[in-house]
Amino acid sequence: VSWRSSLPPSERPGERRTAEMKKLYGKDAAMIQGMEAAMQLTFDRNCDKKQPKYWPVIPLNL
Amino acid sequence: SPRFIALCCSSSSSSDEEEQRLRSELRQRFLWTLSVMRDKLVQFDMHERVRVRARFGASDIDVLRFQVSDLETPLGVQREALLRCQDVLSCSFEL
Amino acid sequence: MLQWRDRSPQHWHEVVNHEVCVTNRDQQRFEGRVFTVDPVSASVVLVSVQENERPSVTVILGHAVTDVQILRRGTEETERQMKSVFLPDRAQILSA
Repeated sequence: VSWRSSLPPSERPGERRTAEMKKLYGKDAAMIQGMEAAMQLTFDRNCDKKQPKYWPVIPLNL
Repeated sequence: SPRFIALCCSSSSSSDEEEQRLRSELRQRFLWTLSVMRDKLVQFDMHERVRVRARFGASDIDVLRFQVSDLETPLGVQREALLRCQDVLSCSFEL
Repeated sequence: MLQWRDRSPQHWHEVVNHEVCVTNRDQQRFEGRVFTVDPVSASVVLVSVQENERPSVTVILGHAVTDVQILRRGTEETERQMKSVFLPDRAQILSA
């Protein structure tokens, strides 16, 4: 039995996100979710690889 | 206002579907814009009249941070950087 | 009055394809044709095509937008033109 099965369905983060996307985008939800996942993956991978630092160090818009 | 009441009380599924369709088209076009920006030289206008240029890498999906390379700051070039979208007012590039 | 960020997709969609003037918090103005408004960040994407210049794209971040005024209404022809400069290979995908 996987650890997932002990969680009530509504507590699974992936499902919650999918339900939100469905509400926002209707029948296009899966496609938009796929496009967003690809973009976030690029962002995460670039950050892992390049280790960018915030510029400026202190936010301008305080 | 009548418009507010119309928005709140229209619970019919057809108007939901219409809103979803419009939101989907707008979002797809924006995601497309971000993908076109990739590797482009982009000028960023930031708060306090700070203007910098950099090669665009990627945005996170919530549009909170931009990952860029070769950022030309007033104090020299920063090879890799993250810009906070809250600091950025606008950005522009040529196609 | 509703802030730009809190508007509905219908409201944002109403400015697509029209030539607009966007004003930001610093009272800077941007003119161009609206390609889209991101429903997540309310950011406005303007395309501007001028003779003898390469088409340029400006993204005004949603948090900075204070006003959007329609200057000239677009037509089917301007929509087609904008798509042809902006997404030559994908024109058919987004022509819903």
